[in-house]
Order: sequence, then C-alpha cells, then structure tokens
Amino acid sequence: MSLPVSNARASMNARRACSVWVVLALTGLAVFVAALALGSVTISPWQVLLALAHASSHVADGGPAGDLAGEIVRSLRMPRALAGFSCGALLALAGALLQVLLRNPLAEPYVLGVSGGAAAFAVAALFAGCAWWLVDLASFSGALLSIGLVLGLARREFWRGERQEASPRLLLTGVVVATGWGAAITLFIALAPDDRLRGIVFWLTGDLNGAASPWPALVALAVALGVAVPVAPQLNVLLRGDALASSLGVPAAKLRLRIYVVASLAAAASVTTAGTIGFVGLVVPHALRLVLGNDQRMLVPASALAGGIAVMGADLAARTVIAPAQLPVGVVTALVGVPVFLWMLLGKRR
Amino acid sequence: MKSLASVDAKALPGSLSAQHLTLRAGDRVLLEDFTHTFFPREIWCVVGPNGAGKTTLITTLAGLARPAHGHVEIDGERIDTWASAALARRRALMPQHSHDAFGASVLDVVLLNRFPHLTGWGWEGREDRAAAHAALETLGLASLAARDVLSLSGGERQRVALAAALCQAAPLLLLDEPLAFLDWHHQIDCLTALVRWTRASPRTILFSCHDLNLARRFATHALLLEGNGVAHTGAARDVLTPALASRAFGYPLVLIEQNGYEALVPALPEAPC
Repeated sequence: MSLPVSNARASMNARRACSVWVVLALTGLAVFVAALALGSVTISPWQVLLALAHASSHVADGGPAGDLAGEIVRSLRMPRALAGFSCGALLALAGALLQVLLRNPLAEPYVLGVSGGAAAFAVAALFAGCAWWLVDLASFSGALLSIGLVLGLARREFWRGERQEASPRLLLTGVVVATGWGAAITLFIALAPDDRLRGIVFWLTGDLNGAASPWPALVALAVALGVAVPVAPQLNVLLRGDALASSLGVPAAKLRLRIYVVASLAAAASVTTAGTIGFVGLVVPHALRLVLGNDQRMLVPASALAGGIAVMGADLAARTVIAPAQLPVGVVTALVGVPVFLWMLLGKRR
Repeated sequence: MKSLASVDAKALPGSLSAQHLTLRAGDRVLLEDFTHTFFPREIWCVVGPNGAGKTTLITTLAGLARPAHGHVEIDGERIDTWASAALARRRALMPQHSHDAFGASVLDVVLLNRFPHLTGWGWEGREDRAAAHAALETLGLASLAARDVLSLSGGERQRVALAAALCQAAPLLLLDEPLAFLDWHHQIDCLTALVRWTRASPRTILFSCHDLNLARRFATHALLLEGNGVAHTGAARDVLTPALASRAFGYPLVLIEQNGYEALVPALPEAPC
C-alpha cells in the first residue's frame, strides 16, 4: 500500500505552498456550500448562492418557499458551518503550533490542560443548570485559568530554554494539570442528575448544535493566524533546537511564549464555541505533514484550512447521516479520523 | 596567557576578541580573565578534558551565553550590541546537539541556516538554494540532498550539520565538536574542506575537538583549556606539546616521531599478557 507521498520530500517553496492553500480553500468552499445545501430540507446550490447574495436583503425572490430556504441557510446552516470551520481551524492551528513548541509529534491542543480547565468549568455550569452564555463564560474562564496555571508553574521552562532535550517538564506540567481537571469532570459526572447528563456528554464530545454565534471564533481565528503566520519561518528554526535557533537570530524564549499563548487561546476559543472536539488538532497537522512535508510556513495556514474543512465536513455528516437525529461532531471526527490516519501513517513507506 | 592581548582589536575589522573573559560553571572557575583576539585566516582548535568549558567558551564567544566577567567583541563592537540578524550573518555556530523530532530532507535542514539571509515573506530564493547545494557539495553530501535526515547515520547527520553551518555564509565559524561520530576518513575530509574554506576569503574557524593529532596537523592555532581557569594559546605545535597536554589532561603523553610524522600518544603502561 502506498500513498501519494512521492513529492513529500521535495522542497517546499512559495509557489507550491500557494497551490496547497488554493486547493484547500477551494475544497473548503465546496464543503461550505454543501453544508448550506444539505440537511433535512435539501436546498439547491443555486438557491444557496441566492440566499447568500441576498443575505442583507429582506426581499425574497422565490416566494414563500424561497424565503424559507433563505432563512434556513442564513440563520441556521451558515452560522453552524462557519462555527464548525473556525473551531476546526483553531484546533488544527493550535495542534500544529504545540507540536513545534513541545517538539513532540504527540502534542495536541488539549495536552497542556486548556480543554480540561474549560471542560471542568463548563461541566460545573451545566451541572448547576446555568444558561448557555454562562456555560460559555465558565468554559472560557476555565481555559484561561488553566493557561495561567501552566504558565505560572512552568515559567522557567519558557525562559531558560531546555539545554538537553525537548521540554519534558512543560509537557509534564500540562499533562498533570489536565489530569487534575479530568478528575474534577468525572466527579461532576458522577454527581450529576440524569436529566443533565446528556447535555454534559454532548458538550464533552464536542457539539456544534449549541454554538450560538460563529463570530467570536472567526475573530479568534483571524487574530491567531495574524500572530502565528508571520513567525512561521522562525518556527522551522525553533524545531531544530534552542541553540541553533538563537545562533540564527531567533529569540527562542519569546517565540515559545508567543506560540504557547496563541495556541492556548485558540484552543480555548474553540472549546468555548463547540466543546472538546477531539482528534482534529492532533491528526490534521500530521496528515498534512505526511503528505506535504514539515515546512511550517506552508503547514501553519494549511493546518487551519484543513482543520476547518474537517470539522465543517464532519458536522455536515453528524447532522445528515442519521437525520433527523444528530450525532456530536466529535464522534464523527474521531470515527472517520482514526482509520484514515492509521492508513496514512502505516501506509507511508519508511 | 595573553600572547596577543596587547593588540588593539578595535583597529582590526574581521577579528573576534575575548576581553577579560571569566567563565564559571556553578562554583567552578573554568576560565579566568582571558583576553585574546582571533584573526581571519586562523583555524583554532579548542582542546581540553571533559568539562573543561569548551562548549561554554564557544557558546559565550557566539554571544549566546553571558560570561561571569568580561565581554566578547566582534569587529571591535561588543557582541551584545549587535542586532541578532546581523550577528547571524557575521558568525555561525554549529551546536553539539540538534533535534530531529520530525523528518525533513537534508536539503531543507541545510537551508534552515539561510534564515538570517531571508527577505520578504521568508522564503528561500535561488541564491539560498545555490548556497545550500554548494555547502553539501563541499562536504561530499550532494547525493544525500533528498534523503530524510532521520534515515541518516550519526556521522552523516554530523556532516549535514556542518554543511548547514557553512551554508550560513558567515565569516566566523564556531564549531562545537564538528568531528564527533565521524570516521577517520571523513574527519580528514571535513578538516581539509574547512582549511580550504578559510583560504578562499578572510575567514576564521574555532572548533573543539578531542583528537590532538588532527588538531596539530590541521589547526593553525590551539587553545588548550585546563578547566581550572588557566588557558594556553598559541601556534598549535607550541601549545599541544607533551608537557602542556599531559598537565591539562592529567595523563602522561609522549610525542612519537617517525618518517616525518608526529603523534601524541598516551604513555600507557605495558599491556598485561
């Protein structure tokens, strides 16, 4: 079994990177239109485009049916598709950055405890029966608290820079903090009354059904890309160790802090919007790396695009496969992602 | 020793100068009040026993570690006043270790050292690729350009790291154990390539090494660290003598001469039969 990896070791250059981005962007657009067209009511792509074109206008052009279609597209499907795209993009971006930061291929957005803090607080809010906006607020505060905790505990690892090996102390601190949050979550689940359990389980698996508005996540995505993409060339150097990075003029400690904060806030924004959607942050950057090589200048924007496509597509499946029932999107990403990734990984010739 | 300390470094562009440098590791003084200027077209071998401070000295001279006292100057300017990008174009450092957590082609690894030369959006141009290919060619690695670094042997990786340092095109090269893991043949090939490299234009090399005989043969000068604050500098053959080396390494060494070849060898006791 072999994959189309024949060009994986060819050097990346600006032109190849641009073509990767364009292909991903066009795929994203296609999935976006499909996400708006498909569902319990099928709407033709033409009507979707009309609905989008008239998004600002109240005048419907196809009579009551067209109006209904436009309404479904504009106020139901589009916010959900956009929320899915931005969450997936944030997660994959965070995963790609943390894999560089920890110089560890197993790193993912949740490994340093960001999602654990968010989840523990969100579950506590759900447990208490809070309104959705309080759950969102709780989850974002939990994420910030967890980020601050890891940053405070492992601050020396950021500034001193590891002399020998990749930062195992930072990683360990994050993993232990995450484990603590995990225990708190289990405690709440054990105590939760039955009627709240379903909401908690859906939140923990990752669910776009409750996503209120896509705009905070989209803004977070724009900011995260704005901060991460300009330093992508430096990330390539940082991957080879602190000594080499500093000798090439890269401020390693500052750069590490910057990517930790960006990646954590990106994960926090995504978790707050859609719960802990698993697997995307780990697998999307790796899948791209397997096929396209490990140049961060290409990989950082490409991970964001591909992660967005993955979650938007998975959510489309989650709400259409067993319609009218809906699956949590996190289940779909993992169920489809696990075999696909194993196939890519094991099929790759060494 | 302060053999050249009286020379004014400020008058000499192209020089690397240590001014009253004191280096410590914990409570231990590795090097005390060391003043010396390194000039273009000199190849310095830094030798000394394990833990004598070779890596600390090289890192400090590269401007990446702060000395306990004193300072380092390049072209008469204090190294901590250099802008990081300009400094990276002026001196290259090959660290003892680099990380390969993820695979990458040999060419890409070497190209990374063009970072200080990148402009615009941070993509390499034709010139950068040419420099990388030339560096690989210099060290006989051209055929490995497309290989994954993770599939290379330790010695091959070491030569790739050396090629990367050369590709940085900085006139001052600081190499921390560039010959580690290399077999005889490749050690000599690398040193020959480095000698040729310093002759091509006014360049300076400092490298740390454990093979005193190769150092005597290829380096023009030697810096012998005793690890107790004392350092000896001078022409390689004047510093790497049986007397000084025996004292620094704490083991008796003798110089053997035969057919015009010289070798420092440990004065081992008779082998038991």
